[in-house]
Amino acid sequence: MANKGVDGGRGRRSGVVSKQRGNSAQRFYVVLALVAVAGAILIVRAARTPKFTPVVTTAPVTPAQAEGYLLGNPNAPVQVMEFADFECPACGNFSVITEPDVRARIVNTGLASYRFFDFPLPMHKNTMAASNAAACAADQGKFWEMHDALFRNQPEWNGEATSEPKKIFLGYVKTLGLDTDAWEKCFDEQKHQNRILANQAEGSRRQVQSTPTFVIGTRMIPGALNYDQFKAYVDSASKESRTAPVAHTDSIAKSPSK
Amino acid sequence: MRRRQALALLAVVGILIASYLTLYKVGVIGVLSCSVGSCETVNTSKWSVLLGVPIAAWGLVAYVTLLVLALVGGTEAREESVTIARLLVALAGWSVLFSAWLTYLELFVIHAICIWCVTSALLWVVILAVCIADLRALSRAPLR
Repeated sequence: MANKGVDGGRGRRSGVVSKQRGNSAQRFYVVLALVAVAGAILIVRAARTPKFTPVVTTAPVTPAQAEGYLLGNPNAPVQVMEFADFECPACGNFSVITEPDVRARIVNTGLASYRFFDFPLPMHKNTMAASNAAACAADQGKFWEMHDALFRNQPEWNGEATSEPKKIFLGYVKTLGLDTDAWEKCFDEQKHQNRILANQAEGSRRQVQSTPTFVIGTRMIPGALNYDQFKAYVDSASKESRTAPVAHTDSIAKSPSK
Repeated sequence: MRRRQALALLAVVGILIASYLTLYKVGVIGVLSCSVGSCETVNTSKWSVLLGVPIAAWGLVAYVTLLVLALVGGTEAREESVTIARLLVALAGWSVLFSAWLTYLELFVIHAICIWCVTSALLWVVILAVCIADLRALSRAPLR
């Protein structure tokens, strides 16, 4: 009987201990969840708010028309614009990973035309030089080849890697078979600076705040897209262009309509 | 119990750091908040990808594994499991070695430091210390 009483007491005590442990574990899980949620909120905020201020450009002395650099059929049913900074890593990733598919399956098939607009950000030291390098390659009909070389080799010429990017750009000029003297003259004179500033001003006018930013049909989409997302926006814009031919391209996109 | 809870908490911190760097690498986050060092140089270098997967994503996998082990090992039924303690030491030990190699690359090959990567490396050192303390405490405990 006495033993039973003692055992019963132990049972109650272990029950109490177990309950206390359960409460302690519950409190711990709540703390863990709070830390995770707080961290997730900070990351989402980092993803949404760029750490730089939008570029305000002064009008160039001789205003140039913001025409970007065209790829594909200008009369394609959907018009795509990309505002990008040659030194921005996300733009580089998009160019290397996603853009080849976009060109092969969307631009070359005539679904959309593609225009690249320089949007050099002030925090990137060599980006303006890179925009000039690409613009001077465009004079010799090799903008896109230079565009690809710049994005592919970003780590070797960016502002962290060198303060003399021209030496590295000259390597690409030679590899692409451009006329080196003509390119160098164009680059040193900053012949296309106004064109670059006009492209940048077009981005500011459209309230581009981060790079890359895409305008696909009527939607403006900040951030690098993967191919499926890109295609969904193009399909959606294509559908809209068939039903409503008048397009205005200043709205910020939420998601493509299905 | 307490040590496993501490490990779970450290794993969540690691998951947040690794997620931040992975989201940057895949382009969801445009600019890294990097008050010290050159995060962009490191995270755009050729060393930032292993077998086609961003290093940060590998880190994410390691931290998630740590979290799962710590949570499972923190339950009443398994809080004295020496097997889990050994798995934790193995995971943390491997991660410390891997982080050391990455830090070596930052210092002597890339010549740039990413403060988030260094924080993660230090985090693994702390995690390994807790894991070793956990294993030693369990090895000393009398068998039941």
